[in-house]
Amino acid sequence: MKTKMVPMLLTLFTLLLVAAPVAWSAEPIHIAVSAPLTGNFAEYGQNWQKAISMAVEWINAAGGIKGRPLEIVYGDSKSDPKDSAALAQKFTSDNRIVAEIGDFSSTASMAAQPIYDRAGMVQLSPTTSHPKWAPGSPWSFGIVGTQAGEGPFMARYAIERLGKKRIAVLHINNDWGIASKEYFVNAATEMGAQVLGVESYFETEKDFTGVLTKLRGLKPELIYVPSFYNEMALISKQREKLGWTDVVVMGPGSLYSPKLLELGGNSVNGLYTSAVFFPNDPRPEVQKFVKGFEAKYKATPNMFAGVAYDAINLMAETIRKVGTDRKAIRDELVKTKNFPGVTGKIAFTERRDVVKDYRHLVVKDGQFTLFDK
Amino acid sequence: MLVPQLINGLTQGSLYALIAIGFVIIFGTMNLVTFAHGEVYMAGAFVGAFAMSLWHLPWFVALVMGMAAAWVLGFLIEKVAFRPLRTAGHMPPLLITIGLSIILKDLAVVLFGAENRPVPSIYEQTVRLAGVQVSVLQLVILGLAGTLFLVLRLVIQGTKIGRAMRATAQDHEAASAMGVNVNRVFSIAFALASCLGGAAGVMIGIYYNAVYPTMGGTAGLKGFAACIFGGLTSIPGAILGGIIIGVVENLTVQFLASGYRDVVAFLVMVIVLVLRPQGLLGRKLKTV
Repeated sequence: MKTKMVPMLLTLFTLLLVAAPVAWSAEPIHIAVSAPLTGNFAEYGQNWQKAISMAVEWINAAGGIKGRPLEIVYGDSKSDPKDSAALAQKFTSDNRIVAEIGDFSSTASMAAQPIYDRAGMVQLSPTTSHPKWAPGSPWSFGIVGTQAGEGPFMARYAIERLGKKRIAVLHINNDWGIASKEYFVNAATEMGAQVLGVESYFETEKDFTGVLTKLRGLKPELIYVPSFYNEMALISKQREKLGWTDVVVMGPGSLYSPKLLELGGNSVNGLYTSAVFFPNDPRPEVQKFVKGFEAKYKATPNMFAGVAYDAINLMAETIRKVGTDRKAIRDELVKTKNFPGVTGKIAFTERRDVVKDYRHLVVKDGQFTLFDK
Repeated sequence: MLVPQLINGLTQGSLYALIAIGFVIIFGTMNLVTFAHGEVYMAGAFVGAFAMSLWHLPWFVALVMGMAAAWVLGFLIEKVAFRPLRTAGHMPPLLITIGLSIILKDLAVVLFGAENRPVPSIYEQTVRLAGVQVSVLQLVILGLAGTLFLVLRLVIQGTKIGRAMRATAQDHEAASAMGVNVNRVFSIAFALASCLGGAAGVMIGIYYNAVYPTMGGTAGLKGFAACIFGGLTSIPGAILGGIIIGVVENLTVQFLASGYRDVVAFLVMVIVLVLRPQGLLGRKLKTV
């Protein structure tokens, strides 16, 4: 009891300072979070924790949910399927917990999926993007979007917004890169673009001069590069060195990282990409989140903080509407059509995942900026 | 696109050749193989990268620093791993160099992190030569590699220490009986080999704009392959071997796919060795 009293008292104390005194007469509402708080993915889990704690603070400062404070029960899964499954057992058998948020990786989320499914508890993952995840159980929800949405979005960006019709693709040779390439190529071909060539590289590759020379020979107007910032920086620098400047470079949201700018320097100027979360987005909900996060943690929130913030707010909003019954929460969540998240509007498809609104970005003078032509 | 691919291959191949020559010098004089050569190359690359990105020194100063650091490291490796075990046969020093290779690589991960470290670009412009656009940096690297090959030839053919190295390569005991300080020759040969590896490391870092702790693994393997391909104890053979591997890799990318580059390069090597076990320019007699 003592350990639970401390945060309660602290919350009360801050509330006394900040706003009109709120005395919690009612029991708190418990939501579980299964996240990698330690281990290899700890940085992502900690980003979640920061965003979620801040959101909960704000919700409770505004009077909680119908007079009841929101309380988070954290579980450290290390994003390991063994731990996420064990946590699922623990959470589902705890009658106070009404719903769960997590886990981080597709593997960890999918390992826990049957347990939440049997128990009948919502499992809403902020980051799981595997196309088979959300359709796997009526209790599973994904809010980060899948490659099936991003590929066609990028194809429209290239063909309709930038007017490029001759396209070549250079992708990383793994599950993600192949899926990424396929969704893009299919959409681009349907939109009437000409895909001149597709090349791949292995994760350990550092020498791109050969493959770039080959692609250059095909004379594309645009190269689409599903890759990560490390390789993209090398590809850009080596492309520049080969003197291949009459081409537009584009890649999916995986490139959206300050590291790309740091490693790529001038060579990544003019690179087109996308993001589900962009801190300089002028929308008021985004600015409220970014300002609050920066004031509290002295750091700009990233995409992972953004999706976690959306997950907890969406959950709180749903509970506000229908109360704390596990089944009622699921039935209401399914109907979500227009939730204004900081990572874009959330509207669930019949598969219970979302088609994201991506932001069109371009690197300009060494900064990511919104492309608004 | 054939000519640009040949230039890509030549540039890459000349850097493999620098690594391969290191193996040739060490094997030629000491009759031993080192598996830490790739890590010496990595260390040189890191010193060069730090010189350029942290201390903002010009690239040629960075090159000299990388070579000097590799020289010192090679000197120390010879002292620790080879000198005390001169009479212990081939296996103990070989195993020690495997150990050293792991130690150096993991130490680099602990000290510098496992991720790519960016190296500033130099000579970003291109020139037109006979209608073909060529990167200035590639020409600079080719020129440097060529210069190092020439200097090395002059050292080995024209200096006293070069003569001592050749004598030691032919017969340790006879050379020693003639008054050659064999220990000193081994020390210098090992350091010289490492120094060339360090030069290749700095140039690769500049060429690909990245250095990372595991870079020595594949580079060491390719260099070793080029050395065997060329005939194990022949410096011109190592140069030829390195360049052939580099060119075959890039032509494979052009005409097949980038995933096949190592497959085809090593396939060519296997075929040549099956037909000509002594390598391209190898002889039965072991000389430098």
